[in-house]
Amino acid sequence: MKRDLISMDDLSAGDIREYLELAEQVERIPHADKGSRLLGRILMVMFFEPSTRTRLSFESAMCRLGGSVIGFSESMITSVAKGESVVDTIHTVENYADIIVIRHPKEGTARLASEISYLPVINAGDGTNQHPSQTLLDLYTIKKFFGKINGLRIAFVGDLKYSRTVHSLIQALLKFPRQNFLLVSPETLRLPEYLMRDDEDAATFSETTGIEEALSTCDLIYMTRIQKERFPDLVEYEKVKDSYCIDTGMLEHAPDSLRILHPLPRVNEISYSVDRTTYAGYFQQVRNGLFMRQAILLKLLGESI
Amino acid sequence: MKDKKFLYIPKIEKGIVIDHIPAGFGAKILEIIQSDDLMKDIIVTLGLNYKSTKLGRKDMIKLKVDDLTPPMVQHISLICPGVTIKKISDYAVEKKVTVRSPREVRDRLECRNPNCITNYEHHMETCFRMENESNQTYRCIYCERVFQLDELRPLIR
Repeated sequence: MKRDLISMDDLSAGDIREYLELAEQVERIPHADKGSRLLGRILMVMFFEPSTRTRLSFESAMCRLGGSVIGFSESMITSVAKGESVVDTIHTVENYADIIVIRHPKEGTARLASEISYLPVINAGDGTNQHPSQTLLDLYTIKKFFGKINGLRIAFVGDLKYSRTVHSLIQALLKFPRQNFLLVSPETLRLPEYLMRDDEDAATFSETTGIEEALSTCDLIYMTRIQKERFPDLVEYEKVKDSYCIDTGMLEHAPDSLRILHPLPRVNEISYSVDRTTYAGYFQQVRNGLFMRQAILLKLLGESI
Repeated sequence: MKDKKFLYIPKIEKGIVIDHIPAGFGAKILEIIQSDDLMKDIIVTLGLNYKSTKLGRKDMIKLKVDDLTPPMVQHISLICPGVTIKKISDYAVEKKVTVRSPREVRDRLECRNPNCITNYEHHMETCFRMENESNQTYRCIYCERVFQLDELRPLIR
């Protein structure tokens, strides 16, 4: 039976651990020694929405394992512009590749693709819904920094209402016991209630609008961009767009062990001066994305490292 | 007492009885049944507002028909979970089931999320899975949003 990666909801704690272990093994082996693991395999990249990191890191992951990449990153140059349905597009492209990675602005498109295609399908983002490869690489980064993914105090800062990476990461972390979350957001961008599972064994949630507590009491700060494109009313966006910005001055009294992650792209949430400090974890996060995406490709194609 | 009640609605020799319908829902269920072409000409008795210890007031439907189709039962379970469907043979109850909210509802409801792919792709089936039975919440398996059952409108093609 073929395997897909569509939603973190489909993965158990055991499945997540398997992905983390595989990424660790992938990272341990130098690029040159794993350059033929997916020789002769083709990755179909279908990006109906813009992306830098996700698309390029999937492409790089495939190439570094010896596979090839074909596809598009602009739907207007395909027959979709002529009104071709997602179903017909999938049935066409599945003849040309061994695995599909898809990003689409409509929620549920990756699930639909996985149902109709005989190829493994990876969801690289469906609207505001899921982006599981980002969540897995976030978990992998946390594991690498702290040696574990639970028992930590984690602050989520910024747009907690619309950020799919935050929603997805919280849902994934809740599969493991003893989580301690500090939610930092403007009143209008609070985390939706349904994500705050009221279960003391699993997690404790506290909410605030100021970032100071996060800087002094947390192990990890997960920053997010206030996403202009998700606001129906731009006046509301202007009110909150510069709510949080971390600079080196604010980090003066932060514990040395604090790490800051960000799914990127950033606008001005983290000052460039922070990049040179040991607190900055976001570029290592990008690098970890490559290993995790190699692990995903190997696992879904049924190959071992 | 029991026999006296049945004076108002005759016993049937053979057929289907839908009982324990909350008062006011009888006509709605009948509408669902009669929306099926095969059910248009069957003999129906509809009883309204009977006294019920469990519900206070209840409606009841008796149909001269061998069975209800599975999609019909699923549709009834969406509107009125808790009703009982009895198969009658020779004036006695041969089989009785209490209808529960369905675990999964396929191609009957429309997703309320305007950005869900099911609202864009032509003729795409919708599917909702039960999230919480006591709250009557269902999750769209595509966009993964959770809705109250009564928020979801029937799917019209």
